Formats: sequence, C-alpha cells, structure tokens
Amino acid sequence: MNQRPHLVIEHRELLARATPRPDAAAKLAATPFPSDRQHPQALHGAILGSPHPHARILAIDTGAARALPGVHAVLTAADVPGQGSYGLRHIDRPVLCADKVRCVGDPVAIVAADTPAQAQAALAAIRVDYEVLATVDDPVCALAEDAAPVHAGGNLLHAMTHDRGDLAAAEAACAHVVEAEYRSPRQMHAYLETEGGIVEHDGNGGLIVCFGCQNPERDRQVLAAILGLHPDTVRVVGTPIGGSYGGKDELTIQPLAALLALHTGRPVRLHLSRSESVDLGVKRHPMQIRLRTGCDAAGRLRFMVADILADTGAYATHGPEVLDAAVEHVSGPYQYDAVSLRGRLAYTNNGIAGAFRGFGAVQVQFALERQMDVLAARAGLDPLAFRALNLAAPDAPGPLGQQVLPFDGPARALDVLRTHPLWTAPRSHTDGRYHYGTGLALVHRSDGFGKGGPNTARIVLGLAADGKIELRTGFTEMGQNLVGAIHALAASALGCAEDDVRPVIGDTAHTPDSGPTAASRATAVLHRAMQQASTDWKQRITVAGARLLGVAADSLVPAAGGLRDHHGTLCISYPALAAALAPAARPLLTLVIAAEETPSDVPAAHYVFGASAAIARVRVDAWTGQTRVEHIALLAALGPVVSAQGFLGQMEGGALMGQGMATIEDLPTHSGRYQARNLDAYFIPTLADAPAMEIIAVENLPDDDPVGPRGAGEISVNVTAPAIANAIAAATGFAVRSLPVKPDDILDYLENTP
Amino acid sequence: MSTVRFKLNTQAVSVSCAPDRRLLDILREDFGLIAAKPGCGVGRCGACMVWIDDLPANACLVMAFRLEGRSVRTYEDVAADAASAPVRDAIARCGALQCGYCTPGLAMTLTHLHQQTPRPDREQAASLLSGNLCRCTGYGGIQRSIEQLFPATPPLSADNSGDSQ
Ligand code: FES
Ligand code: FES
Repeated sequence: MNQRPHLVIEHRELLARATPRPDAAAKLAATPFPSDRQHPQALHGAILGSPHPHARILAIDTGAARALPGVHAVLTAADVPGQGSYGLRHIDRPVLCADKVRCVGDPVAIVAADTPAQAQAALAAIRVDYEVLATVDDPVCALAEDAAPVHAGGNLLHAMTHDRGDLAAAEAACAHVVEAEYRSPRQMHAYLETEGGIVEHDGNGGLIVCFGCQNPERDRQVLAAILGLHPDTVRVVGTPIGGSYGGKDELTIQPLAALLALHTGRPVRLHLSRSESVDLGVKRHPMQIRLRTGCDAAGRLRFMVADILADTGAYATHGPEVLDAAVEHVSGPYQYDAVSLRGRLAYTNNGIAGAFRGFGAVQVQFALERQMDVLAARAGLDPLAFRALNLAAPDAPGPLGQQVLPFDGPARALDVLRTHPLWTAPRSHTDGRYHYGTGLALVHRSDGFGKGGPNTARIVLGLAADGKIELRTGFTEMGQNLVGAIHALAASALGCAEDDVRPVIGDTAHTPDSGPTAASRATAVLHRAMQQASTDWKQRITVAGARLLGVAADSLVPAAGGLRDHHGTLCISYPALAAALAPAARPLLTLVIAAEETPSDVPAAHYVFGASAAIARVRVDAWTGQTRVEHIALLAALGPVVSAQGFLGQMEGGALMGQGMATIEDLPTHSGRYQARNLDAYFIPTLADAPAMEIIAVENLPDDDPVGPRGAGEISVNVTAPAIANAIAAATGFAVRSLPVKPDDILDYLENTP
Repeated sequence: MSTVRFKLNTQAVSVSCAPDRRLLDILREDFGLIAAKPGCGVGRCGACMVWIDDLPANACLVMAFRLEGRSVRTYEDVAADAASAPVRDAIARCGALQCGYCTPGLAMTLTHLHQQTPRPDREQAASLLSGNLCRCTGYGGIQRSIEQLFPATPPLSADNSGDSQ
C-alpha cells in the first residue's frame, strides 16, 4: 500500500536531536509565573463559592463583611458593570451568580482586603440565604422528562447525529456482532499551578490582567464586555502557564479579579487553593458510550451504531465541541458500509466539564479500541492485522462523510509497529502472582477546531530595532516548547539562525490575535505561517540590505547573523541592517493564516488528521488487582518533527496522562459533590508509576500535502489510554468496559473465573 | 502572634506571625521568595520543597513555630550555588522541564540527593523523587536526568539476590 519507505525517527535519534529548550534557563532561574506576581500595593482577592450543588439565591447580605477592618470591596452580581455572563458558544456562565447556583463553588460574592486573613474573615461574614433545589447528579436522570432544569432551556445542551449507509443490509452481512457499554472517567487536569494572577492598573484608566491563559485576545474581548470597558483599555498577558492541558482555555477567575481591581482602584491578586481550583476548574467529560459493531466472516467491519451520553456539568464551556469531537472520532480511522452515530450532552449539577487534552476523542477511542480487540478475537484475527484490514483508504472521506486531506498515517503507524519486539513477543502469560499482557491501539485525531471554529490566525514578523527577527503571536507557552518551535520554524523558513529570532508571545499589547493555543494547533499554524512568509521575507530583507550596500539584491542571501554573499561572507549583520534602516523601512509582515477547513458542508467536521499507534505492556498483580504499566512503545505519524524536545515531551507527558486515565484517575461525584478536592485523594502518576517509554516518529506525509506537521499536543493521551485498557484485558481476560480499571473489579473477575 | 528567628538563605531573619502560619506563605508573602510553589498545600506534590537544616522539607507543612533557630534554604539560594549546577544542567539537557512549575521543587530534591556521599544509586534516587509530582513531562526527561546524575544500580550480589521470604 505504501510505495515510499517509512521515514522513521527512532527514539534514540529523537533524543539525540532534542536540544535544550531556549527558555530552560529562565525556567531554571525561577522566573515568576502569573500566580507568583507580587505588587506592593496589591489587595488580596477571595471568592465566596456556593456550598450547594443546586440552589436558588434568596438574599445576600454583605453589610457585616463590608464593615470589617482591611476590607476594600465586597461585590455581588449587581456590581458587574457589563455583560453578566460569558461562555464560548453558549453564554450561560454567570460571572457572579444572581438568582441561582448550579454547582458547588459557583461564585456568589467576592472580596478584596489588605491581607488574606482579612479577606477570609470577610467571606465568613457574608450571609447568603439559599433555597436548596433538587440536585441533578446524573446525565441519564438529567434528560428524563421530570428532571429539575439546571438551566431554563432544559438539560439537553447539545446533540449530534450522523447516519450513513444501509444499516440493516450491513448488519445482515455480519458474522460477528459485538455490543457493549463503556464508561470513561471524570479526569482532573491537575496542572500544578492553580489558577492565579494579578490585575494591575496601567495608569491611564486601563487594566493589565496577568493570569495564565490560552487565548489572550479572546479573554481581552470577553473581559472588556464584562467590565463595560473598551477592549483597548484591557491588556491581557497570558504567559507563561504552569500547566494547562486545556484546563485554562476559558476564563475562570480573571473576571472576578478584574472586577475587584476596577472597584477598588488597586491591584488585586487572586490565587486559588487547590480545593478551590478543583471546584471551579473544568474536568474531562465523563461519558457513557454504547457501541454495536459488526464484521463479516472475513473480518471486514460492516457497521457501527454508537450512542454517546456526556455529562457537561453546570455550564457549557467547550462541551458542545467536545461532544462533536466524540461523535466524529467514535468510528475511528476504519471503514464501514453503514454507521449510525448519536451523541447527547446533558447539563447536571456535577461541577463543570470542558476542554481537556484528548478532547472528547479519547473517551470514545477507549471504547472503540476495546471493541476492535473483541471483534478481532471473534473473527480469529490478530488485533493489528484486524485493524490494518479495516483501515479506510488514505483518500477516503472523513468519519462524518466530509472531505478530508488524504493521509496514510494510520497504515504507516501499524506497519512500523507490526515488527516491534513488544508486539512479536508472546502477548500474555502468567507468572505466579503476576499476569502480563500486551495491548495495542490505533487512533487518528483531528487538528484544530472543527469547521466554523476559530481556525484563523494572525502572526506578525518583523526586524526589530536591535536586529532581532521578531515573531509575534498571541499563542501562549504552557510547557509545550512553543518558544523552541518558533525559533526552529522561523530559522528554517527565513534562512537565519535560531539565535537571530526573538519570539514575542501571549500579550495583547504586543501580539496579534492568533486564536486559541489549543486543539494541537499552535505549532502547525506557525509552520504554515512561516511557509507563507519565507519568500516574501527573504525578498524584503535582501532588497533592504542591497539598497543600503549598493549591490544587487540577488547577490545577498539571508543567513545566520545577517545577509551574506554567495560565498558565505557576511555583508551586513541584522543589527547593523536594523540600525541603518528608518523604523518604517524595516521589514514587517503581517501573516493571515486561513482556516484549514473541510470544503464539505458538514458542521464541526475536521479537515486535517494525524495518527498514532501504541503498544503497552502491563503487569497485573493477582493479589492486589493493581496494574503496573511496564513499557509503552508509541509511534506518532504526524509529519515532520519540528522540535524534537517539544515532540518528546508532548508524547511522554500525554502518554502518562493517558495511563493515569486508564489506571488510577477518576473524580466521582456524590450528590453533585466531588469526592476529592486535592492531590491527597485524587492521585496522579508519580515517577514510580512511569513506565519505560519508547517514542517513535514517522515523518511521511502524502506527496502534495499542503499543511505539513500535524499537532502533537494531544494524540499521545488518545492512544495510550486504549492501549493500556487492551493490555489489561490481554493480561487477565477481564473485559474492560470502564476506566480507570479498578483493582477490585480485577480481583472480582480473577476470583470468579475458573 | 509570636516572633520566630531563623536563618533564611544564610541571612538572620525574624518574623512576627501566628505560630501556625505556614513557611510557604511566609516565604512568598513576606519575603517575595516565589520559587517554592503552592501546588497542593498538603505535602503531596513537592512543588514547595525547601531545605531545613539541609534536609528537604515541604514548606506547606512547616509551621512558623518550628522554625526557631533553624536554617532555611530556598531554591533562589540553591540555584545560585555551584553545587546545583550539574542538576540544573541535566534538567535542561534531558528535557526534564516543560511548564517548569515543578522544576524548583524537583531541583531541590535532586540537588540534595546529588550532594550525598555516597551518592544514592539510580533506583534509590528515583524512589526518593516520587514525592515530586510533575504533570507535564511524564517523567521521561526526569528519568534521563537521574541516569546522568546518579550511578547505575549495582547488580545484586550472589548472597542477597535470593528472596528470603
Ligand atoms: S504545596 Fe507543598 S507539597 Fe504541594
Ligand atoms: S514541568 Fe509542568 S509540572 Fe513539571
């Protein structure tokens, strides 16, 4: 199938290519994060959250709190000067709750005081009368006729369906049909830096909002609307971020800190404790996924029926897009005669679910990839061979019937792993107390937002006064090595050295609207921008240099350090060139990156996909039921690797997060209350849990591929969760239907199986 | 309110506060020392790691009354010390840092271990680091740093290789 050989970068070579991040020194020098920022005049903000998951607010009395020493402001919904609610697609989340609270921690009042202790004392003095309402704590009940409405419009927030082909005929052709219901957990982002930062005054009636965020320009617009200010008077500095993984994509407490700063005229710091962060932050959407899938006697997939129900909690945030992604990814990179896919998203009082690395896809990929293993076994085929047999052709339409960019990544991923020693070794055995098993998963994963999403971007490129080539973008650095990617991409496209480049990121005072740093898009968008800029930039800078030196433009080449002649001799350095040019004559390019959207008319559908396959080997302890992941081999087929350090980091970090989801991470609610509010009860993997990891890249893209590298931010979480689930099933025989796999369930199974 | 006197990064300091005020808050709010980070506040994540009398401690668990006469060193001081150079170097080279929020705490633990004589072996170092959580790296880069900084685990000798259970 693949005419060209695979362009494989083995793990060892990736390691050799991985140079230190350009911002490593700054991070090692403990440069402050937004939540670390201090100001001598700063007041301390604090939030009064609802103690109830669902209640009507009858009255709020702030009089006693206002009278306390050190208290500068006590604000409620009535003090919001502009728009009272916000949200990405649905404007449903109150800045401060006025009539009703919909989850524990929902902000009801805020305080600014001289000291944190005074702020806490003021919170304790605020009286709120609630009328407690019935808690909607389950998405199935939420959608029942007689359920209490969380929002006035009812509890069905969003639904999506896709039907294609003759289902009855496809099912009639099947020799094997497998039906099962799967559950995926509510996972916590557990970024180590909880939400925090400072709002300062700029001295001209404007505000400077400094909190880690993923989209400074959007935050600026929304904050201005809430504060009743012109957007030009709000500056958002959103970088660096102490971890996000999607969890800081939307505003959380910035509006509250900004309101306090506006009312008091003083800088205000606000930094959530871990338990407050757990209450207010978003989580991964828990999903119930029913799949019915069949293949014929030869093992060819014929049909899939999928029914997905997701719990979005109290507010929409990214919920509708997450559900759309679930429906789009549930059938995988495979081919069917017919599919019938349905997804529903329910409001409940169970906290708030939103964007999280893997974004709706990882939940359904777990279910699908379990289903593929079970069907392969029924059909008597090897799991890898079964998947290879059923891959959609590289130029087939996408999962929703949309036109997609041709891509052969899934086939290449399987092909490279076919001969991997982890796969060719025996895949399960028992050694006394321990059961060992090897599992495989294959995923494809969309890039960017679906059709109609914020897919466009602006990037500015210019020669600064000091001779640095500045790349200005609103993207933010949250650990992914954005800065390293900018250096590498700009240098290779513009002919200069990495040192000649200065990234300017994530600050609305200096950077354009690049759209969200999300959906694995930043590196891919920057790559496209630099491709677009290359010729134009080289021409402008050589012309400028030639004029100055009185030589022909084509005698100069943009190179490391400056313009050189064809023998490599430096003719003029970038600093000398910048110094000699009037500011207006220095090269400046504004790049507008068009949305990479499917030409098809399918809403929310994606155009660009990447792929990954992984093999996981686990050891299950028959005495304790506990799973130890020993080894993961992860192959990412995402096109050229831009930054080896960033790529490795995204693969390793996401893989362990997927492992967490498969083995230990779950945040259940009970009557609308989280059962853990800190890292002493919600456990994330430690160094002791980390497996040996082997990361491999396949760089091939189809010959005339116009977009280049696919995003690397998410796919590792997508692929490892199902691979580990399959490995546990292979080790024990236990039909894994629910993540994380609980030791008790394994023990029950092992004890009751002869 | 009570007054405690201790050494902070080699300087004598005194603080008047409630005896149960946390060292982490004292460092960040009173001294503007922000390298020790609040990650959990309950001793689970290691982001707030400092040394007290040269032993690693989670600053979120240490109350003011326990500081009298002690010596506290934070990452600001240790990062300026040549003793931490190999650790900082390994972290940068091996990609043991992504967002960097866990990095000061991690570097404090690693530097402490790296200074011990005899130096712990790889396995010991790795197990002593499981109190430093990192959500970004998947610990790949951290494991590679450990390989650079600590000697390989010696093979078990013949007489203690058997399981005595
Ligand atoms: S904040 Fe001290 S250990 Fe987490
Ligand atoms: S680098 Fe982000 S938590 Fe460790």
